[in-house]
Amino acid sequence: MIGQEETLQTIEMLQSEHLDVRAVNIGIDLFDCADRDIGRMCELVYAKVVRCASPLGPARRKIAQKYGIPIVNCRASVSPIADVAAGHDHSSLLRLAQTLDKAALDSGIDIIGGYSAMVQKGMSAGDRLLIESLPAVLSETQRLCASVNAASTKAGINVDALLLLGAVWKDTAQLTAESDGFGCCKLSVFANMPEDNPFMAGSMKGIGEPETVVNIGVSGPGVVKRAIERLLQCNSHIDLGGIAEEIKSTAFRVTRCGELIGREIADEIGAQFGIVDLSLAPTPAVGDSVGEIFEAMGVSAIGGPGTTAALSLLNDAVKKGGSFASSSVGGLSGAFIPVAEDCALAAAVGSGSLCIEKLEAMTSVCSVGLDMVALPGDTSAETLAALAMDELAIGVANHKTTSVRIIPVPGKRAGDRAVFGGLFGESPVMDIPNNTSTLFVRMGGRIPAPLTSLSN
Amino acid sequence: MELLRNEFVLTVMAADRVGIVRDVSSALASVGGNITHLSQTVLRGYFTLIICVALPDGVSLEKLKSEIEARGAQGEFGVLVRPFADTSDRARSEIAQCRECRYVLTMRGKDQPGIIARTTAYLAANSINIVDFYSYVHEDILLMLAQVSVPPTVDLGRVQEGLQSVGSDFGLAVHFQHENVFRATSEVRSVQGLQEQ
Repeated sequence: MIGQEETLQTIEMLQSEHLDVRAVNIGIDLFDCADRDIGRMCELVYAKVVRCASPLGPARRKIAQKYGIPIVNCRASVSPIADVAAGHDHSSLLRLAQTLDKAALDSGIDIIGGYSAMVQKGMSAGDRLLIESLPAVLSETQRLCASVNAASTKAGINVDALLLLGAVWKDTAQLTAESDGFGCCKLSVFANMPEDNPFMAGSMKGIGEPETVVNIGVSGPGVVKRAIERLLQCNSHIDLGGIAEEIKSTAFRVTRCGELIGREIADEIGAQFGIVDLSLAPTPAVGDSVGEIFEAMGVSAIGGPGTTAALSLLNDAVKKGGSFASSSVGGLSGAFIPVAEDCALAAAVGSGSLCIEKLEAMTSVCSVGLDMVALPGDTSAETLAALAMDELAIGVANHKTTSVRIIPVPGKRAGDRAVFGGLFGESPVMDIPNNTSTLFVRMGGRIPAPLTSLSN
Repeated sequence: MELLRNEFVLTVMAADRVGIVRDVSSALASVGGNITHLSQTVLRGYFTLIICVALPDGVSLEKLKSEIEARGAQGEFGVLVRPFADTSDRARSEIAQCRECRYVLTMRGKDQPGIIARTTAYLAANSINIVDFYSYVHEDILLMLAQVSVPPTVDLGRVQEGLQSVGSDFGLAVHFQHENVFRATSEVRSVQGLQEQ
């Protein structure tokens, strides 16, 4: 018989603490669909995505039923489209994007990622066209997500690409102004972008990945928060080392559930199993928030002193527990702090305790970066690019992934409320100094890769 | 059913104290018996033991029983002894061995008479064998954990619905999940290792 106490703990985690698998993501290689004829290429892409992704829904239902664990989202990611569709013009790219959008819809996929370009050191003609097409693509598709890797520790920061992206954020927000610039919620810009990340918007099927691959994103902010609360109830003298231990053991169990489900789904649909991404991914629901974990740890004003240390403890303990649980850990694997998607973080912005500078400091000790941050609509393209440069510099200098998902909300000012809906949530618009670095950004070029020796 | 020569199965029930297993096993040793299988548990202060023992020719069932009883105080041990018969049914044993068939049923909620009777009647009617079972009531709340073997021919979705329906009649929270989720979250070995077993 399996242990009664362990069984009850697991039941508690699954039922009372609402553990779920946040996303099952199938990566699909599309290089064999490349064709000079865009009509033919769209046919091949549509057929392959539908063939590979359609079995995911039935497999998800079967495995979720077997284990009694909900699997919330079915997602797909494809090879970076800038490479797959190199040589095609703007209208062909848009047609391909719409094909991917329709293929996702027809195969029961919630969101599909991979409208992506890797430009950390420079842009090919195809990369540039893809970036320029983003406002049209993000405003004319529903399920397609885009990402750009604009920096890496090996290559430095491509400022020319970020200048282009500054304009992309502005134009995309304008084209989707009626939904508070929602198009920007589907675009992540990275430093050191992982190729096996199952979470959106920054998911793509990396070039070094198998033909089809199943990656799993577990959830768990609620589980971790309640584990801490329970620990403190049972033992009021616990110290921070004890809290780290509790987070570690919780992360172990969450990760094991994720790997079990990921492997079974991969077997079921005949794909290779890839990784479990340990990330604590919040949703706007109360009780599913990373910010609430800080509160459970005793940080009452998120953004106040102690927040970065609490986040660092949390992020490290999650990684330690998860990496012991599985040798197949990958993706982003840390704590997410997407402001609009996390009710406690959004409330902290509203109360004034969390400002953009503190948020940026927090991103130096966690994954991912400035995520789901609503900014004033009149923020200039150069200011957006400069903000992205700062965030990517943190990733480049610290050998880690950072990303930027920012929304300059048309017509709104700091303190106004931006509403994106559903899992994308809502948040007050954050204040940011505008047009203070325009000359710096406009110099363009590439910030060289950092020295990795002389590290004292 | 084949009777095995001079093998016995016996159970002992008593109020728990230190030394019961010693008393029973020394009684068996005194008649030259060899214990081949043993399982014991204590439930609310009551001890139960089940043993398979092989005895030399000529030791009778009655002799065995009286030897054990003599090791306890007057009337302390409730002893039941039977000749061991191989009752294994190949089909049932294959299902019991099959890890893929192992599910865990948990029920929790306000206690009332008849819950276990109704639940187990449903399991039996669906050819689902209980491999291990544990249940207790604490502050009027029943908790039931059953490890069961589900034949591959059984429709899992239908069984889950059926158990939910039994649970809802009694106002209980019911969960029926493959055991690997519990093993994966509480054992150290790799998930892949669990699945390949």
